[in-house]
Amino acid sequence: MIGARLFPATLAISLAAVPGAARAQVSEAAVKAAFLPKIARYIDWPPGAVAPGAPLQICIVGNDPFGRLIDEAVAGQSVEGHAVTVRRGGGLDGCHIAFLREPAAARALAALRGRPVLTVTDSSDGTKRGMIHFAQKGGRISFYIDDVQAAQAGLGISARLLAIALSVRSRRR
Amino acid sequence: MRRLRIAAERWTQLPLFAGGFALLLLIAGLAIIFQNSRSYRAEQEASTRVQAEILGASVVAALDFSDRQVAQEAVNALRANPEILKALLFDRRGRLFAGFSRGDSPDSGNVIRVEVPVANDGGRLGTVRLVRAEESVGRRLARYSLVGLFVVMAALIAGVLGLAANALGRANRQLGERAAALSDANAALTVQIAEREKAEDQLRQAQKMQALGQLTGGIAHDFNNLLTVIHGSADILQRPNIDEAKRMRFAAAIAQTASRAASLTSQLLAFARRQPLKPELIDVNQRIAGMSEIFERSLGAGVRVVTELELGGCIVEADPAQLESAILNVAVNARDAMPAGGTLAIRTFVDRLNEDRKAIAIAISDTGEGMDAEIAARVFEPFFTTKGVGKGTGLGLSQVYGFASQSGGDVTIDSTPGEGTTVTILLPCSEKKLERQELRCAEARSPSAARRLLVVDDNDEVGAFAETLLGELGHSVARAHSAEEALTLATSEHFDLVFTDVVMPGMSGIELALELRRRGIPTAVVLTTGYSDRIAESGSEGFAVVTKPYRLETLADTIDRALQ
Repeated sequence: MIGARLFPATLAISLAAVPGAARAQVSEAAVKAAFLPKIARYIDWPPGAVAPGAPLQICIVGNDPFGRLIDEAVAGQSVEGHAVTVRRGGGLDGCHIAFLREPAAARALAALRGRPVLTVTDSSDGTKRGMIHFAQKGGRISFYIDDVQAAQAGLGISARLLAIALSVRSRRR
Repeated sequence: MRRLRIAAERWTQLPLFAGGFALLLLIAGLAIIFQNSRSYRAEQEASTRVQAEILGASVVAALDFSDRQVAQEAVNALRANPEILKALLFDRRGRLFAGFSRGDSPDSGNVIRVEVPVANDGGRLGTVRLVRAEESVGRRLARYSLVGLFVVMAALIAGVLGLAANALGRANRQLGERAAALSDANAALTVQIAEREKAEDQLRQAQKMQALGQLTGGIAHDFNNLLTVIHGSADILQRPNIDEAKRMRFAAAIAQTASRAASLTSQLLAFARRQPLKPELIDVNQRIAGMSEIFERSLGAGVRVVTELELGGCIVEADPAQLESAILNVAVNARDAMPAGGTLAIRTFVDRLNEDRKAIAIAISDTGEGMDAEIAARVFEPFFTTKGVGKGTGLGLSQVYGFASQSGGDVTIDSTPGEGTTVTILLPCSEKKLERQELRCAEARSPSAARRLLVVDDNDEVGAFAETLLGELGHSVARAHSAEEALTLATSEHFDLVFTDVVMPGMSGIELALELRRRGIPTAVVLTTGYSDRIAESGSEGFAVVTKPYRLETLADTIDRALQ
């Protein structure tokens, strides 16, 4: 394995030169922000969940950790012909992807149960897991996948995504 | 036959076809190999591309989410394929993300390089690059070798077939030529043989005519001489008033000349092998030994006679008088070939006749002039002589030849000019045992009493003459002109003796004699003949024979003896 940790390592080193943990956090946040639209490409929403031509909405529920990063990440992106937009606050309706922050995560997860919304949580936040649960492992950002919840919500998750997850709680065949 | 030839011709064109075919096979093989090579490379590239695409598809998420570990695992899966020299994954910025590279791989040269983009809906994620070893020459050759082998074998077979057909065609052509030449030669030979035969026939005919001419000329000449004396003497005798002495003289001359003529005809008959022989069992050595006095008298003092007689020798069945004549004739010739004198050697030894019969050889050699091959070939011809006119009859050796032949033997001559000549008489040995020769004592005979005789002869003059002679002897004679007439007479009247000629038209004298015997007619028979194949070949059936010309005494003796 040539330079397996090269990328994050160099990034970490280069960013470590900048004082302040905020930068490290920013890099982490940037990665997660970048991941969100990427992940969207591996998700199948049930028909009708996303109106044709309508944008794919990423809702940030709770404190926005991304700031400008998420906007930059989704700018110009399209997922299967749908533009990707970001909404902060404003409830859970009209969301296709919901990034849930504690302490609202548990309540939001319960509210969103069965609805075709991809729930994304973060381990640095809390332990309550959504369908996608960001975590850090081996110096890089990865995520856990709960496919059971996705199945309950009627969402399909590409096996490719499942393949790179840290672990998968797989739905019954 | 023609079909065969056409087929053979087609076969000779086969080498051309075969060669062309072989060449075609070779070209086709090469083309296939070449084409195969190109398409194989394209195939290899295509399959590598597919592998790259598969890899790309499997690392989309890993690239997307920068999961190096997963990406590397996916790339490493390609390690299993030994032909993949490098499998590299680049991110969207072209930086190496994951991959492997085999240490022992060349970076350039015979490699197949394939790059495939990895992308998803969101855009380009990266690039997969696979570097694959092109099939080594060795492996390629190994792959082609089997096909190549078949191609080569097919080409070889075609080539060999072609060569064989070519050789066959050539051989056939040669054979045809030889056959034609042979048949030509055969035709020429046949023509030559025919011509040779014709030439030989002509030669034989010419030789025959020459010999005949020689013979008739000789006979006429000799007889003319004798006739002159006889005629002349007769003329004198017919003159009136001849004194007794003159009459006796000329009568004697006629008798003597007639004797000479008789001996001449005898010699002629001897050559013709038609002389009636009186064969007896003779001891050759004994006979020759007994001839010493005759040699002395005939050869003179100048010739020394040496005899070398093989002990034992053998018994031959031959006419003793003729044998002595033959030996004497050769001896006389030898004497004439040695005018200054010399040695005459007579040697006898046992030899083989015609490789199978035991025979006695009488070799008479002289130390005289000898003769060349041309003359030697002709010496046995009657009237052929090398002696001057009046010095030889030319009948001597012809008598030897006739006697030897008629006795079942042979005579050969071997001569070297200037050294001498050897005449060898071969006579077959007889199986019969010789009984002690009893000297025939001259019996005191009294002339027989007058008897009743029958003379049979178709020739009127000779018959009349015989009648007269027999009448002179005191017998009573009747005459018949044919055997049939004689039979009729003999059955009705008893005759003491029948004196018959042998050669007669219709029934012969011998047949008459046999018929008389068969009918049981008791009468003596005496045959007379000057010439008879029958008697010469098979004897006279035990009947007495008087040979013509006969003197009165001979006739009387034979008649008397037969009547006893």
